[in-house]
Amino acid sequence: MSSKKPFSKDIILLDDVEAVVNEIINKLQKDVLRNLKRLGAIVGTSGGIDSSVCFALSAKAFGPDKVVGIMMPEKDSSKDSEALARELTAKFGVMAIKEDITDALAGFKCYERRDEAVRHVFPIYDPKSYKMKIGIKQSGLSNNLPPLFTLTIIDSKGKQEDQILPVKDYLQIVAASNFKQRCRMATLYYHAEALHYAVIGTPNKHEQEQGFFVKYGDGGADIMPIGNLYKSQVYQLAEYLGVPKSIIERTPTTDTYSAEQTQEEFFFQLPFGLMDRYWYGFENDYSPEEVAEVMDEPVDKVKALFGNFERKKKTTEYLRMSPIRDYYGLKV
Amino acid sequence: MTEETIKIRDKVKSYVLQAASADKEKIKDTSLIFKEGYFDSMGFMVLISFLEEEFGIKTNDSDLLEENFESINAISEFVARKSN
Repeated sequence: MSSKKPFSKDIILLDDVEAVVNEIINKLQKDVLRNLKRLGAIVGTSGGIDSSVCFALSAKAFGPDKVVGIMMPEKDSSKDSEALARELTAKFGVMAIKEDITDALAGFKCYERRDEAVRHVFPIYDPKSYKMKIGIKQSGLSNNLPPLFTLTIIDSKGKQEDQILPVKDYLQIVAASNFKQRCRMATLYYHAEALHYAVIGTPNKHEQEQGFFVKYGDGGADIMPIGNLYKSQVYQLAEYLGVPKSIIERTPTTDTYSAEQTQEEFFFQLPFGLMDRYWYGFENDYSPEEVAEVMDEPVDKVKALFGNFERKKKTTEYLRMSPIRDYYGLKV
Repeated sequence: MTEETIKIRDKVKSYVLQAASADKEKIKDTSLIFKEGYFDSMGFMVLISFLEEEFGIKTNDSDLLEENFESINAISEFVARKSN
């Protein structure tokens, strides 16, 4: 007989947050100090909820003098991010270092390559007078078509234009923008190696499993302490750990493109509270019928969502794979 | 299916068979190419670009419906409608 609990809206919520926090802290200490033999932790602090929870967990695990928060803004970053990150590091009494990566990104031609592709779609686009972002077509989630990406440009008066992105331009914009996450990863490892610390990665469960991270960018880290936590659970930890309210109440953004963009708009296509529950149902083999009844949605919609999740998992497998090295020289 | 649509279908089919990522022998004109996993998100984007280049049609937001893209036949009918 199955011991699986009936599906419910609260099924993902942690009953004992303190116990979960203590378990994570104990494992962090063991992994960093004993397994990796490092002396402390480096955490990239963006002012977002995930990095703030990882930062707070690290501060509790190693003590404030063995953690450094690195802020890595660039010219497209929201101005709020630095203020929130400073509020966080001050609250936990941890040293914060600011590394502006704009010049490094310009050296990689990140902005130049991205803007070239944007102009190919919108010849009128000028980065000095327009903001830009890419997003997913909302209709993609509830039918059986994979998502397509749209490019949006917004002029100084707020007038917006959207267009479906041709594949070549989409790839160029993403490849150029990914310099940001990879540049941040390199900066974190500089500080980690200079102090003999470990890099704490901040992706949560959805980002990991749905592939919302940059390979060898924000996906490059030594430890990912919230990699198995749903976003709702991350918020539970944030409340318990005393992460500032201003961070908890902030809408999660990508902070990657010059125009404001939520993570829901760019990738997830559902508010995190709903995404958590549907994903839980999907990965724990609850039937679409059971989930649909609890969520008060049509069964066909839930089936399409599950199909979309399955597709996302499969198509992003490449991101989670380590380099393939089973070539010549295998032991016989 | 009109003669023109049949010509379109032959081109679409030829493209789908060379671009699909799975067992190509199994793909029929009515196979649900996305639902059955022959094409992923990147495959969809490349397909849209192919249709634009090959047939000179522009795909709009309102065209992104399952009934326009779910199979070789559906794509062919969609292209024929857009071309007219």
